[in-house]
Amino acid sequence: MLERLVARAAQLPAYGELRWHANHASRIMMRKGVLLANGRSRDGGVSARLYHNGAFGFAAAPADDETSLAAVIATAKDNAEFAGGHAASGGLSTAAGSGSYDYRSKRAPLSAEQRVDIVRRLDEAIRARYPGLVNVDISLSSHASEKILANSDGAATCSFVPRAALVVSMSVAANDGIVELHDILGGFGEIEDQSFDEATLAPWLEELHENLRRKAEGGQCEAGDHDVVLDAALAGILAHEAIGHTCEADLVLAGSVAGDHLGELVASEKITLGDYGGRGPDGKSSFAIHVDDEGTPCRDVAIIENGVLKNFLHSKRTAQMLGAEPAGNARAFSFQDEPLVRMRNTCIAKGSDKLADMIGAIERGYYLKRSTNGQADATSEFMFGVNCGYEIRDGKLGRAIRDTTISGVAFDMLKSVTHVGDDFHWSAGGGWCGKKQPIAVGMGGPSIKCRITLGGRG
Amino acid sequence: MSAPTDDFLDQILARAKDAGATAAQALTNRTRYFEIEFDHRSVDLVRSTENETTTITLFRDGKRGGATLNGRRPEEVEAAIAAAATAAEAGVADPANDIADAPSLPPGDHGPLAPDRAAMRAQVDEFLASLPARHPLLRLRDSLYTFTDQETEFANSRGLRQRERRGRHGFRAMFMAKDGPLTTSFNAVGGSAFSPFPSLYEAAGVGRLMAECERSLERRPVAGKFVGDVIVTPHCLTGLLPSIAGALAGPALLAGSSPYKDKRGERIASPLFSLDNAPRSADFAEGADFDEFGVPTRDLPIIEDGVLKDFLVGYFFSRKLGMAQTAGVRNSRVRPGETGVAEMIAGVKRGILLSRFSGGAPNDNLDFSGIAKNSFYIEDGEVRHAASETMVSGNFQQLLQDIHAVSKEVVNFGDCAYPFVAASGVTISSK
Repeated sequence: MLERLVARAAQLPAYGELRWHANHASRIMMRKGVLLANGRSRDGGVSARLYHNGAFGFAAAPADDETSLAAVIATAKDNAEFAGGHAASGGLSTAAGSGSYDYRSKRAPLSAEQRVDIVRRLDEAIRARYPGLVNVDISLSSHASEKILANSDGAATCSFVPRAALVVSMSVAANDGIVELHDILGGFGEIEDQSFDEATLAPWLEELHENLRRKAEGGQCEAGDHDVVLDAALAGILAHEAIGHTCEADLVLAGSVAGDHLGELVASEKITLGDYGGRGPDGKSSFAIHVDDEGTPCRDVAIIENGVLKNFLHSKRTAQMLGAEPAGNARAFSFQDEPLVRMRNTCIAKGSDKLADMIGAIERGYYLKRSTNGQADATSEFMFGVNCGYEIRDGKLGRAIRDTTISGVAFDMLKSVTHVGDDFHWSAGGGWCGKKQPIAVGMGGPSIKCRITLGGRG
Repeated sequence: MSAPTDDFLDQILARAKDAGATAAQALTNRTRYFEIEFDHRSVDLVRSTENETTTITLFRDGKRGGATLNGRRPEEVEAAIAAAATAAEAGVADPANDIADAPSLPPGDHGPLAPDRAAMRAQVDEFLASLPARHPLLRLRDSLYTFTDQETEFANSRGLRQRERRGRHGFRAMFMAKDGPLTTSFNAVGGSAFSPFPSLYEAAGVGRLMAECERSLERRPVAGKFVGDVIVTPHCLTGLLPSIAGALAGPALLAGSSPYKDKRGERIASPLFSLDNAPRSADFAEGADFDEFGVPTRDLPIIEDGVLKDFLVGYFFSRKLGMAQTAGVRNSRVRPGETGVAEMIAGVKRGILLSRFSGGAPNDNLDFSGIAKNSFYIEDGEVRHAASETMVSGNFQQLLQDIHAVSKEVVNFGDCAYPFVAASGVTISSK
């Protein structure tokens, strides 16, 4: 397939990319012992994107034969002309990526029965060990993105990037309603590559249940501005939502406040934050990328260095518009999708402070352990949900808190950072980001002490 | 889209039987999609895609397995059937697992067959040409004018056959305002309709939101912390109501986590609040004639004058829970009230006009907390200023009870339709 795409790409009438792309996914989901999902999916095809006078034409079809490939190229050309760009905007040529990056599991594949068995045994074990639960949800899922890409500049690359996740959710009845808590295991690789054995799962479940028990006995947190310690498990979503999105160049072009602060001190000097190719600076992120979907080889991008805003994240087009070099941030979710400016492995660099010292430094505040969903904004005002946390009173952990939302203006909040931990955590199971299309991302960082706004009725 | 009816699904069912199925069903979606994407300067992308996805569900002695593929490559169809058979064999037997027995409907045909691309382009050009005069400070990104033609076919081994086609236009705008160093939050709105939108400024109420956006450049936090009123806009309800509907649906009832699980026939909301599920509604371009089990959909009141009339229970959960099937597809409509929006605002002593809620997903108890985005502070019946760094917190169970006005004005988004809803008892706080 790669040879066919390379040959066709060399003959494109303008700058363009050809991509064969298939997403493979599986999901087993059990609720209270009832199997609600048990299947797999595959969605693949070819696409062409051509650039013409400052605008793109894109076409895709669920096939990969020569006739279909010729048809999508012709339709993309028609669409580019229909887009009718008028700008003599120059070419989009940049460095051309190459190589094959195949992360398929080397282990023997698990059978459908073995996969269902992981979930079934786990469900039985949880319900036997913790009989008071109102509900138990278990989900075992996998996703792999398989791509073959060539562009008119000579980029030629293949990849297969898998991830897998095991999610367990438990619910109990508290005196004021149902209280739920979930956690995720897994990350890079296929299900076969994960450690879902009893020795790994037993202590993990014990901690989850203990946090749930304490959460059920806990209360609402007090709304307002507070000193907090964000556990390393939250650092990734902070890096992603608070800073990463705000520094995507398409958002900068639309008016993100980050555009007004390039080269300025926007955070404590303890903060260094980057977006990385490969599997991140330590090679352990839940996501891997080496060449993006425009054919650009991936380079690391320093977004904030010692508190100073240094760079934005670019596609070829935004780099051209802002006079920068793209570093491989243009990514598409499926064969039907065009590449957008996206994050890859975004993380805050670890510091030298101890978690215990951070908690000990707070007289009255909160220790926030786990996040749910999050959202960013052009103003750099971010939020994310927190489903597990504890009060801090006189430097010690107190009662647990119920679900809440935290928010802040990133470029203010990051200046309030006083401690950056010597720990580091990539988000388990891998993160997903929504922006016209969903996309797999890696995100991570250390624990952080800062000041942040909490929602709540307390 | 004029794809011919063929025997593709029948072949799949026959192959499923060969693979050991005691029952099987298949659902195919054939989609042609056309999109013009633009920002505030110009069109930056024209995209057209085709796809055909087929979901095969195979039953074997009360166990169920599934596989979804796209296209019709014979080797991939065979692989999908084999995967579904293997999954079913590995599954967990449940008496609720079965295919449906329901009447086959005459084929449904809704909306135009194909887009008028030139007319759509002309509308986008007109929209962009008039934008600087109408909203000089507004910036758009990833805004879309689309046409989707989707044909859905269903077949099961009990002889149930369904088919419908829907051609619909869609519009989405994502925008913010910027004036020198002043920047507003992003706002976004989307909607769909069978016919082309007469004007893109009128699609899904986007004109009002754009005007509000430009008025939001000067924002400040709402002072202090207090319990006040909230007027939830139709756009904000699109994000909030799915949490409430989820608590009324089969999965939450099976989990036992729904606060409404024992409340059928009881008052769970203000008498001013009525919620219907209306997938057959002629003005919902994104409705459906039948569900994923091939069962014909029907319109049904869910909450009527504040009383919970029915849950939202699909085919599998109706069998699992021993309840009547009430919904396989969700298209929510909150019935309009008798109060004008201006009158609602005039009635607020202290509160928020909540246009967008950016918060953590509400928990099983329906507690919520999040930022009031694109929202305005109201005091003594007047909109005072745009709010920044302001959070709203409360509980949806209580909020439904505390509704004191529902507007006459309604926005139809193509898959749901909502009025403005005013309620009391929400905690409003800032830094």
